[in-house]
Amino acid sequence: MAKLPVSEENIIAHFGPHKNYSPKEGYEGRDEPDELVKTHCCFCGMQCGIQLSVKDNKVVGFEPWMEFPFNEGRLCPKGVQRYLQNNHPDRLLSPLKRVEGQGFVPTSWDEAMDKTVSEIKRIQEKYGNDAFSMLSGVSLTNEKSYLVGKFARVALKTKNLDYNGRLCMVSAGAGNKKAFGLDRGSNNYSDLEYAEVIIVAGANVSETFPTLTHWIWKARDRGAKLIVIDPRMIPLARTADIHLDVRPGTDSALYGAMLKYLADHDMLDHDFIDNHTSGFQETLDAVKDNTLEWAEEVTGIKKEKIQQAAELWGKANTSFLLHARGIEHHSKGVDNVLGCINLVLATGRIGKPYCGYATITGQGNGQGGREHGHKCDQLPGNRDIENPEHRKYISEVWGINEKDLPGKGLSAYEIIEAIHRGEIKGLLSICFNPLVSLPNSNYVREALEKLEFYVCIDFFLNETARHADIVLAGSLQEEEEGTTTSAEGRVIRIRQAVTPPGDARTDTSIILEIAKRLGVKDKFTYESSEAIFNELRVASKGGTADYYGITYQRVEDEMGVFWPCPTIGHPGTPRLWEDRKFKTPDGKAHFNPAPYRLPGEVTDEDYPVILTTGRVVSQYLSGTQTRRIGKLVDQFPEPLLEIHPNMAKQYGIQQRELVRVSTRRGEGIFPANIVETIREDTVFIPYHWSGKKSANQLTPGTLDPISKIPEFKVCACHLEPLNEIAPPSSESKAYASV
Amino acid sequence: MKNRTFNTKALLIATLLSIFMIVLVFYGSRKLQNFDAALITYLFGTVFAFFGIVYRYTVWLQRPPTWIYFKRGITYLVTGKVFSHFWFATKETVENIAFQKFIYPRGKYRWMAHFMIAIGCTSAFLITIPLTFGWIHFTMAPNSISVYEAHFFGFKVMDFRLDSIMAFLTFHALNWSSYLVIFGSLYYLRRRLTNPGLIATQTFEGDLLPLILLIAISVTGLGLTYSYQFMKGFAFDFLAVLHAVTVIMFLIWIPFGKFFHIIQRPAQIGAHIYKKQGMKKGMAVCPHTGEEFTTKLHIDDLKIVTKELGFDFTYEDGTSHLDLSPEGKRSRLAQAHLKARQAGGNLFG
Amino acid sequence: MNYTNFNTNEEFFVDMQRCIGCKACEMACAECETNGQESMIHVNYVDRASTVQTTVQVCMHCDDPVCANVCPADAISKDEFGIVHTANTERCIGCSNCVMACPFGVPKKEENYDLMMKCTMCYDRTSVGKKPMCATVCPSGALFFGTRDQIHEMRPNSTPVNSFIFGNETVNTKVNIMMPKGSTELIIY
Repeated sequence: MAKLPVSEENIIAHFGPHKNYSPKEGYEGRDEPDELVKTHCCFCGMQCGIQLSVKDNKVVGFEPWMEFPFNEGRLCPKGVQRYLQNNHPDRLLSPLKRVEGQGFVPTSWDEAMDKTVSEIKRIQEKYGNDAFSMLSGVSLTNEKSYLVGKFARVALKTKNLDYNGRLCMVSAGAGNKKAFGLDRGSNNYSDLEYAEVIIVAGANVSETFPTLTHWIWKARDRGAKLIVIDPRMIPLARTADIHLDVRPGTDSALYGAMLKYLADHDMLDHDFIDNHTSGFQETLDAVKDNTLEWAEEVTGIKKEKIQQAAELWGKANTSFLLHARGIEHHSKGVDNVLGCINLVLATGRIGKPYCGYATITGQGNGQGGREHGHKCDQLPGNRDIENPEHRKYISEVWGINEKDLPGKGLSAYEIIEAIHRGEIKGLLSICFNPLVSLPNSNYVREALEKLEFYVCIDFFLNETARHADIVLAGSLQEEEEGTTTSAEGRVIRIRQAVTPPGDARTDTSIILEIAKRLGVKDKFTYESSEAIFNELRVASKGGTADYYGITYQRVEDEMGVFWPCPTIGHPGTPRLWEDRKFKTPDGKAHFNPAPYRLPGEVTDEDYPVILTTGRVVSQYLSGTQTRRIGKLVDQFPEPLLEIHPNMAKQYGIQQRELVRVSTRRGEGIFPANIVETIREDTVFIPYHWSGKKSANQLTPGTLDPISKIPEFKVCACHLEPLNEIAPPSSESKAYASV
Repeated sequence: MKNRTFNTKALLIATLLSIFMIVLVFYGSRKLQNFDAALITYLFGTVFAFFGIVYRYTVWLQRPPTWIYFKRGITYLVTGKVFSHFWFATKETVENIAFQKFIYPRGKYRWMAHFMIAIGCTSAFLITIPLTFGWIHFTMAPNSISVYEAHFFGFKVMDFRLDSIMAFLTFHALNWSSYLVIFGSLYYLRRRLTNPGLIATQTFEGDLLPLILLIAISVTGLGLTYSYQFMKGFAFDFLAVLHAVTVIMFLIWIPFGKFFHIIQRPAQIGAHIYKKQGMKKGMAVCPHTGEEFTTKLHIDDLKIVTKELGFDFTYEDGTSHLDLSPEGKRSRLAQAHLKARQAGGNLFG
Repeated sequence: MNYTNFNTNEEFFVDMQRCIGCKACEMACAECETNGQESMIHVNYVDRASTVQTTVQVCMHCDDPVCANVCPADAISKDEFGIVHTANTERCIGCSNCVMACPFGVPKKEENYDLMMKCTMCYDRTSVGKKPMCATVCPSGALFFGTRDQIHEMRPNSTPVNSFIFGNETVNTKVNIMMPKGSTELIIY
C-alpha cells in the first residue's frame, strides 16, 4: 500500500522541501508587531528563550528575550531563523489523502478521520491490537507527549508505542537510571561557571548546542581547563587545553584507563565512595588491565594526553562532565555513559556547587518528553510500565482497568523491524521522520512499503510521510500552548503565538478527535493544554520525575521550575543530590562495571575505513524544518565527506572530488572536504539529508542491548573516488534530494 | 576627512565657465531679443547653481580617488578602439543614467518611483533651462494663425498646429513632469516615513527636505497652470513667487545637497569602465586565499591613492596589507590575534 | 540624526578566539532594519584545510576611516557618535574602493545593487539605546556590547585594544578587540 503514489520528484514539486526566505525588507509589520510572544526556540534541548513577533496571526520575526536566565537573548542561527517555518509555502493547510497516480490530494477532516479510524479498527480486529503501532517524537510539548502516551495505551490499546528519543539520549537515560535511579542532568548549567575542569565527551557543543558555549567559555574566563573528547577537532576542541581525539567506538576504553589511573594514583574521594556509592570494587576490577599503553593502542590517543587528562580531572576541586550523542549513539552507549559516571563518582564531585554531571539532551523536549509518555517501557513520572504498583497508580489516574493497560512494547527501531517482518501492519506517526533519522534507511523504506495503513500527523510533508495513506495537517510548536523541559530539567512555558493556518489543526485536537472516534471520548476531553498539564502533574506525582508542584502560573512567574518539585510550595531542584539521597533502591549512587568491547562493526579488508556521522550547526535532526529555511540550507548546502589529507592522498582524492562511500548496507556519493581536523583513520558525514544524500543509507541498525539506541557513530566503510569534481556547493539541491 | 574648504583652482574654473555660460545666454537669445524678462530671477538662480555645481564638481574631481577614476575613464575613451569604447559608454549611459537599472534589484517600486522622478526632472530641466536662457522660443508661423514654430538658439527646429496632439503635449510638458515627480516623491516620502531603517539613519535636510522641495516645486508649478486655466488667475502672482522661491532654492541646493548625485552619477560609468579596463591587465590574487578578488590595476591605484591620502599599509618586507583580499585581511587579523593570545598564555579570560 | 538616544556608555568588544563559526550573528544581522535581508557581518574560516578557526568581523568604526577617504563619491560619512555609516545610496557608484582599502575587510559590494553596504553597528537599534543584533545573539561572547565595567568584570585577564598596526599604518577604532591583559595594540603581520 505504502509505495509512493507518484514519483518523488512530483511530491517534492508540490510539498517541498522548498527554501523559504524572508522578503527583502522583512515581512510586513515586522517593525510594528501586534504582539511579542515570550516563548522558546522549537529546536534543541537548550530551549532558548525568544520572543516571536506576531502580526495578523503570522510570525513575522523575532526579538531577543534578554531576561530569560539561560540564554539572556543569545541564540544560534537556527534560533534566529526559526520564525521562517511559520509563513512557509510548504505548510500543510488541510488533510491529505494518497491517490494512486495523482499523489496527495486535499480531503476533508471527516473523510480523513473516518478512513484513519476504520483502518485502525480493521487492522486491530484482523491482526490484534499490537499490530497497530505508533511512533512519536520529543519536539512535542510535555502535554502532547503525555497525551500520546495515554492515547496509545488507552485509545489505540497497543503496546507498540515508541519515540525518536530512542535515537537521542536513551543510553544516557538508561545509564543515569542505573547509576542514580533517576534520569536527569544532575546540575543546571550555571554550575559550569566555577568548575575547574570541564570534560566534554562526544558533544559538538558549538554546533549542536551553540548557546551552551557561553557557559563553558564563562568557566574558561575564570581559568577552567577544558578537555574535549572527539574524533574531530570540533570548534570547541580548537581552543581546548586537551583534545583527546578518540577513535570512534573506543570511548569506554578511554574512561576505563582514566579510572584506573585515578585509582592507581589515589586521586579518589574515598569518603564519598565508601559512604554514598556501591559497586566500586567490581567496577575497578573490570578496568584493571586498562593501562595507558593499552588505551593508546585501542583509542589511538597518545598516552601522555590521556595521563594529562586524568591528572587534571583527578586533582580538580570542582568539575563538570558533559556528554552527548557522540558517546551515546553506540551499541555500547550505556557502557560509555556509565564509564563517564564512574569518573564522576570516583572523585565524588557531584551534588555540590560547581560539581556537575549531565548529558546534553538533544531534542527540544528530549528531557520532558522522555519522562511522561511515549517511551515503550514507561509511564508518566518516569514510571516503569512493568512495575505493578506504577501500573496501578496510572490506571487509576486514567480511569481504566489495570489489566487493560498494555505492557512493554517494542522500541523504535524494533518497531520498524517488526513492520519489515510483517508483524506490525499499521502505523500512526507524529513528529518523527524515520526515513531520514533511522539507520539503514533502505531497510526502513522497505518496511514502510509493507505497511497496510500509515497515517501521519505533521505540519510539513516530511520524507517518511510520502509513504502515508492519510496525512493530518498538524501544528507547529508556536501554534499551541504547553510546556517543555529543557536539558537542564527546567520546565518552561511554550506559548501559542498564532493559530494553525488554513484548515490545519492543533496536534492535540487531532489526537483527541481520533480518540473520540475510537470510542473513548470520556477519557480524552480537556478544555485546555493546562488541563492536560494538570492531569500530568497528578500522573507524575510520586514518580521520580515529579511535576506535581509545578503549575503554569509558577512556570511563568519564576521563568521555569526545575523538577523534581513534589509539592506546591517546593522551590524546585536545580542541583540534584545535595542530600546524597540517590533514587536507587539502596539510596546509593552505583558504580557499574563498563569493560571495553568492540563496536558492532569493525573495519576489515573490504571496508577498511571508520565512518562516523553527526550534525552541522545550521541543520536540526532530520531537517524537516531546517531544510526548508533558505539561509540555513545555504550555510551548509550539502553533506560533505570530511577526510584527512593523508587518507585523501592514499586514495588519490582531490578537494571536492566526488567519492562513493559504501558500507554493507548501502552507498552514497559525497564531495570530499580534505581537512586536518579529523583523525587519519576516520571519515565523517553529517546526517540531516534525505534520499541519496542521506548518511543513514550507510549506518548500521546495531542496537545497544539495554537502551536500544542504534549505532550511528561508528561503522566500516569503503571509499572510491570518482574522478569528478563536484559542482559548487551553491548549486547543490541536496536539501530536497530524492 | 581631509577636504580643504577653499579651492582656488575650482574657483577659477567655475568663474570662467560661468562667464562662458553668460556669453552663451547672450548669443543664444540673439543678443537678448528672445530673452523673457519675466524669467530673470530664474536666470540668476540657474547661473548661480551652475557656478556652484562646477565649483563643487571641480573640488570633487581633485580628490585623489575621484581623479584616478576620472583620468582612467577619459584615457580609456580616447585610446585604443575608440569606437567600441564609446559604444560601451553609450550603452552604460542608457542603462545606468537614463534607466537607472541598478535600482531595480533594490526594489521594483523603488525603481519605478525613482524613474518617474528622474524623467520628470530631466524633462523639466530640458524645457525650463533653455527657456530661461532664451535659447528656445515659440512664434506664430508667418501667414498662419494656427501653426506654431519652435526656435532653438534662434534657429527654427519644428512647427506644429495649435490644435494638434503635439501642441497639447508640448505646452503641458511641464505639467506631465510635475505629476511624475509628485507621484515618485510621494512614494519615497512614504517610504522614508515608515521604513524603520531609514527613519533611524536619515536627516531632515539631507533626505526629507529634497523630497518636500520636489513636491513643492511641482505642486506650485501645477498650481500656476490651474490658476490661469480653471480659476481665472486666482492667486497667480502669489503662486508664481512661491514657485520661483522653491525652484531657486532647489537650484542653489544642487551643489550642496542630495541633488548633487544627478551630476555625480556618471562617475558610475567611470567605475565600470575602470573595472573593464583593469580586467584586461589582469586580476590580483590574494596571497592568503589564493583566489582572484579584484583587478591588479585597482590594487596598484589604491596603494597610490591611500598614500596620497596619508595612509601607508606597507609592511617591512615591501608587500602591502592592500595585497590581501577582504577575506584574507580578516583571516590575517584573526591569525595575528590568535598569535598574540597564545603569546599572552591564555585564549580566554 | 533623527531621534537618537545613543547609549555612549556601551561599547563593542570583539574576541575572535571565542568565535565558534555558528553564524548566528550573520543571520541576525539580516534582521537589522538598516540593511534589509542582507547580512553585513563577516564570518569565515581562517584556513579550513588546517583548522576550524573562524573569525568574525564587524565594522571597527575607525577614527579616520580609510573607506571614507578613498571613496571617490563622498558616499561614506562618520557621525557625532563615531559611527561610520553605510554608503549613501544616491552617491555610491559601486567602485569598491572602500571594499579593497578597508584594512579589516569589512565593506561589502552588493553586485546586483551596484552599491556598497556595510555595518552601521545596527544604527536603528543602537541609536535608541538597544544592543546590536549580532552582539545580542552571539552565543560565544565573541561579540559583546556593553559597558567597560561589565567586560572588565567578566574578563579580568583581558584588555580591550583599539589600536591596530598594519605595516607602517596605525589605525584607531571605536570597536575594541579583547587582548591579553596589558596589551595596547595588535600588530598584524
